[in-house]
Amino acid sequence: MTSFFGRFKTGTSPASPASSNLLAKKDLHALQPTPLEKLLADAGPIRADGSDKFFGFENFGSTCYCNSIVQCLYYSVPFREAVINFPTRSPPESFERPAAPLPRLNTDLSHLTNGPNSALSPPKGRNSLSSPSQASPRKPVTTPGGTTNPPGTKPEDNKDSPEYKKKMAMAAGPVITMDYENSKAYSMSESLFTALKDIFEAIIAHESRIGVVSPSKFLEILRRENEMFRTPMHQDAHEFLNLLLNEVVENVEQFSKQRITENGNIDSNALWTTSKEPGPDRTSTISNNNNNNNTGWVHDLFKGTLTSETRCLTCENTSQRDEAFLDLSVDLEQHSSVTSCLRKFSEEEMLCERNKFHCDNCGGLQEAEKRMKIKRLPRILALHLKRFKYTEDLQRLQKLFHRVVYPYYLRLFNTTDDAEDPDRLYELYAVVVHIGGGPYHGHYVSIIKTQDRGWLLFDDEMVEPVDKAYVRNFFGGENVLACAYVLFYRETTLEAMQKEQEAEGLAAAKHATELNQDAVVVLGKQNGVANGHPLQHVTTPVAEKDDQFATLGHAATAPPIPHAEHNPLENIVTSIPILSPKKSNLQFKKEKAERAKQEKEKKAAGKEQEKQAKQERKEKERQAELERKEKESKRRENFRKQDEDLRQALAASKLTKTEEDKRRREGDTGNDTENEKEKEREKENGHKGLSRFRHSSMSLRHKPKFWPMKEKHEAEPKSDTEQQDPVTPGVETDKSGNAPAVAPDKPEKEKGKNRFSLGRKKSTFLH
Amino acid sequence: MIGTYVLRDDLHLATPPPHPSEAPVHNPNPLATTLSPPSAGTKLSLVVLSPRQQSHSRLYRVDTRNSTRSQIPPSIQEKLDETNSQASDAGSHSANGVAPSPLEGLHAPAFGEGNPLLSLVNGKDAKDPLKRRKPKSNIIKSNSSFVSRVIPHEALSKRLQEHSPNGLYAFANVNRALQWLDLTSPIKEEHMTKILFTKAHALCHDVNRITKGSNHIDFIMGFSTGDIIWYEPMSQKYARINKNGVINGSAVSDIRWLPNSENLFLAAHMDGSLIVYDKEKEDALFVAEDQATATEPAPNERERKVFLTIKKSVNSKNQKTNPVAYWKVSNSKINAFAFSPDCRHIAVLSEDGSFRIMDFLKEQLLHLYMSYYGGMICVCWSPDGRYIVTGGQDDLVSIWSLEDSMLVARCQGHNSWVTAVAFDPWRCDERNYRIGSVGEDCRLLLWDFSVGMLHRPRAASVRQQRGSIASATLKVQRSRTDTSTSRLRSNSNLTSASVDEEETVHPVEPRARTAMLPPVMAKTVDEHPLCWLGFEEDCIITSCNNGE
Repeated sequence: MTSFFGRFKTGTSPASPASSNLLAKKDLHALQPTPLEKLLADAGPIRADGSDKFFGFENFGSTCYCNSIVQCLYYSVPFREAVINFPTRSPPESFERPAAPLPRLNTDLSHLTNGPNSALSPPKGRNSLSSPSQASPRKPVTTPGGTTNPPGTKPEDNKDSPEYKKKMAMAAGPVITMDYENSKAYSMSESLFTALKDIFEAIIAHESRIGVVSPSKFLEILRRENEMFRTPMHQDAHEFLNLLLNEVVENVEQFSKQRITENGNIDSNALWTTSKEPGPDRTSTISNNNNNNNTGWVHDLFKGTLTSETRCLTCENTSQRDEAFLDLSVDLEQHSSVTSCLRKFSEEEMLCERNKFHCDNCGGLQEAEKRMKIKRLPRILALHLKRFKYTEDLQRLQKLFHRVVYPYYLRLFNTTDDAEDPDRLYELYAVVVHIGGGPYHGHYVSIIKTQDRGWLLFDDEMVEPVDKAYVRNFFGGENVLACAYVLFYRETTLEAMQKEQEAEGLAAAKHATELNQDAVVVLGKQNGVANGHPLQHVTTPVAEKDDQFATLGHAATAPPIPHAEHNPLENIVTSIPILSPKKSNLQFKKEKAERAKQEKEKKAAGKEQEKQAKQERKEKERQAELERKEKESKRRENFRKQDEDLRQALAASKLTKTEEDKRRREGDTGNDTENEKEKEREKENGHKGLSRFRHSSMSLRHKPKFWPMKEKHEAEPKSDTEQQDPVTPGVETDKSGNAPAVAPDKPEKEKGKNRFSLGRKKSTFLH
Repeated sequence: MIGTYVLRDDLHLATPPPHPSEAPVHNPNPLATTLSPPSAGTKLSLVVLSPRQQSHSRLYRVDTRNSTRSQIPPSIQEKLDETNSQASDAGSHSANGVAPSPLEGLHAPAFGEGNPLLSLVNGKDAKDPLKRRKPKSNIIKSNSSFVSRVIPHEALSKRLQEHSPNGLYAFANVNRALQWLDLTSPIKEEHMTKILFTKAHALCHDVNRITKGSNHIDFIMGFSTGDIIWYEPMSQKYARINKNGVINGSAVSDIRWLPNSENLFLAAHMDGSLIVYDKEKEDALFVAEDQATATEPAPNERERKVFLTIKKSVNSKNQKTNPVAYWKVSNSKINAFAFSPDCRHIAVLSEDGSFRIMDFLKEQLLHLYMSYYGGMICVCWSPDGRYIVTGGQDDLVSIWSLEDSMLVARCQGHNSWVTAVAFDPWRCDERNYRIGSVGEDCRLLLWDFSVGMLHRPRAASVRQQRGSIASATLKVQRSRTDTSTSRLRSNSNLTSASVDEEETVHPVEPRARTAMLPPVMAKTVDEHPLCWLGFEEDCIITSCNNGE
């Protein structure tokens, strides 16, 4: 809170009356709270689970691929919880009073600049403002705006531009400079995982609700260990997601292996067992979980299993093979839906000609029919839309602008008959959007549904609330540069969905009545938006405004997730004493009134803006009034609902957990030896990194060139060229011969190629 | 069984440029977070002026229990050679394909019959059906800022005279324009009248089938601003209802005349309200009436979710002004609704994936179903009123049975969202039904289903049955009411249990227990996503998002 009030104080500090008109105007704009600040104005005390933190991420020059993915992962609630709780959560006392400075961090969170150990040189150009020399958060916002604006342009002209907003966000701060690493505190060696954990913990621990994270250490480690991300070029966000997840798996496993050899198995488990909330059923699940201990949580969340059924056309023998995936890459068709892409993914295909199947039964290469279905549904379904497609004619990747619609809720049609819970309901909660004409340049942003603040747009440093309908702007289509690239769906229940829709509807209705009270035609209003007052139209549907119950509410609405194993702090989280939101509201109002007075005295000159401010305040107050009423009724409802929902959720989670554990135990015995073998093989080949989960990114459509599919594959390139955008991005052509095998990858990335190559994958199981 | 369809006409209606008063957008930011007003693709309302003759009525199953009618053809047959063109009452079975049932209105009482206050108003008009009341204002001379320009065809009166009473008129919305077209004219691409609105987009429209005549058409349209316009194209008169959203400020997503009503129509607003308006009445600021205040806090009560709140009943004593009735159906946007042929029920679809069947005469909610997932987009009733077909964001066309109150089958075949469904009344008989659907995948799909096929035991894998849906082979003649329901009870515990507990709310059927139906035909008919579909006796008309 203090930090964003601090911002207002800077505004009231004496701006010299001699300052130019332009500057004065500037100042006024700075005084208007950003949409995000408005959204958070009524927020209660900061929560300890990080669900009410909204930090932008600084861009170090084409690092938006990283920012967008890390944001998505941060708001993947079970993932975030697992990260901060593994191997242990940093001392709880530092979270009970989040305002307290954190002694274990070796830098001041908000004020220090990039240290000398940062390997990243701040970029030039549009992000020059983020350079260390200016990172002081309390700096008056007028300076950057005034200096960078060419004298001819009015500030209003680009006030709505993302560049301007990012600058403001950076200038407003606070900036958490993540140039340190804390791996020692977790008794781990430095890795991408520890750097990610550092970022998550720093965000959660910070006293401010909003700000900017400068993830320099994370990028440093990423670039040190992965050559393909070293260039300052545009990178593929999906590749990065895949790499990151695999790295996290590896780091976590490495750590627990070490730990087991050091302390013995029992010790490390004891830590987990003791921190569990007591419960008769719990203990059994924990002991079940012992063999893979606490390391399996990435798999728990993202891993699904694909079964490829291959039917030999000669002997009619069907063989099955299971493969794990962390995300699904699906081919796109013009004017299709995600549902259809997934169905196409699982359609039958013929293995023939040079891609024949080695049948064990008849002992030879035979023609076969193959299809891939999902046997185990992941809890988080990361869907990669293959918008970057290799075209043989042009010898390079091309972006597909196909219009692919995605619903807010999803079920999978392509499951096996024996799949558990084949009708599982998924809800869309994050979208990574690629903006640009081709795969080698452009920008990534993410749009994420937060726990109780509706949908937010995360564009590097900037965080802005958006309407739910905004999510639908990225279906793609002709001349649409911004289209969805990675979709994150998470499991949910019908009840949770209905509850949320109810809340959304109420929020929308409330907003509508407010609009009506203004007695302005809706359209007229919307026109007003275009004229530069987007602030009044933030209509993010807020699922649950009542902070008091938000943590519990989450437990209730969340899908039955057996995450408790990895969350020793669950009890603490829910039992945190919380101030009544009313009180904080009052406080806030008082302060607001004070501020308003000061403003009035000072800004008699800018009368028009003053009027606007008044209107806004009125609106706010009215809103607050309505909200208070609603809160009260909601709270009552919540009281009643909570107990029951919680009980239900717990029961359900117990059930699925035991089942999952059973399966995992069964699977692990089989998989381990296989994994071991694979690893060895990889070592021989000299590949590291993603080795463990090479299969994670898979698609049947991407057949290597040297194994062409009879019909489909030959047809593909043709249709490709037809659909191509005539504008081809200026990119160096790829010289390597077998590049077609790795269409989802960029040809330059020689290393990444083998990791993702399906050709290799095929070879491993076809032999 | 399937006739051959050839492309007859490809009309392209020009998309009007934005009104000059709207600020042009320079260098649009793809991430701009400003909200754009709701818009809709081009939809059509079709009308044939000639009075109806029910010569095609034998195609409809009028009495569900009478299976001895000899002249009913045993299977679907093409009727193209028959020259009963005057039978083609295209009426307005537009987006939802409500086909007129010959006996409509005979069984069902008129809406609001019990309220003498309502019939008073209606009674005035009854004296001379040829002298219809027209709206007050002239749209051409109007100086309203709502209407930007009206462009009548230069030879409008001549064309009106030349128009055959069997000819087909169409009204089409394209962006902020509304075009009145004569589809039987040799110069059909030239509009009869084109109205340009200033900012508002007409999202939906309908023609009154009761009042239409050679010199009168009652046409209503709902706008993105919430306004509703009653327009009489022959005299170029209009009236504006819910002006500036005084009764409800959210956009109108669907609008239809109440069956058999001259004055009343129902509008679905995007905030989840269904409102009955009277075209003759003035607006008045709406305050929820007593009943509403009693039920209002109900959503907060645990487990007592209210799925229908009557904010103003048709039986209200206050019937001097609009609205006539006001029902809050859902909290999320209503995407479409459709009246049943028996004029008793409406099917209402929402963006939250819910699908309600209401008895609008009694103002009661009968059933609440959920889509497999995602929002529901379009709905229509079978001509005999026994089945309801919906399409939605799960790429499925779903067939529901009203009598058995259950999901009958899911039709998989679209590669994207299904935006419009319609029964082909000329190719439906008492057991066999032809459905058409169009979607975002630019394709038109035709489906056949037959009563016998639907009640086969369900199998987990329907794959093997692909192609064996030929309805002619299944000649099971049986009275449905007894066997079908008993079978339902036996093989679907979930459904029957819920019916016992809660009458109205039905759970989502798992995939393993639902029959899957493949299409009998699929064709890409356009390169743009389609949004509307209508069957005529000898053609299928589709339209897409930008006016083609």
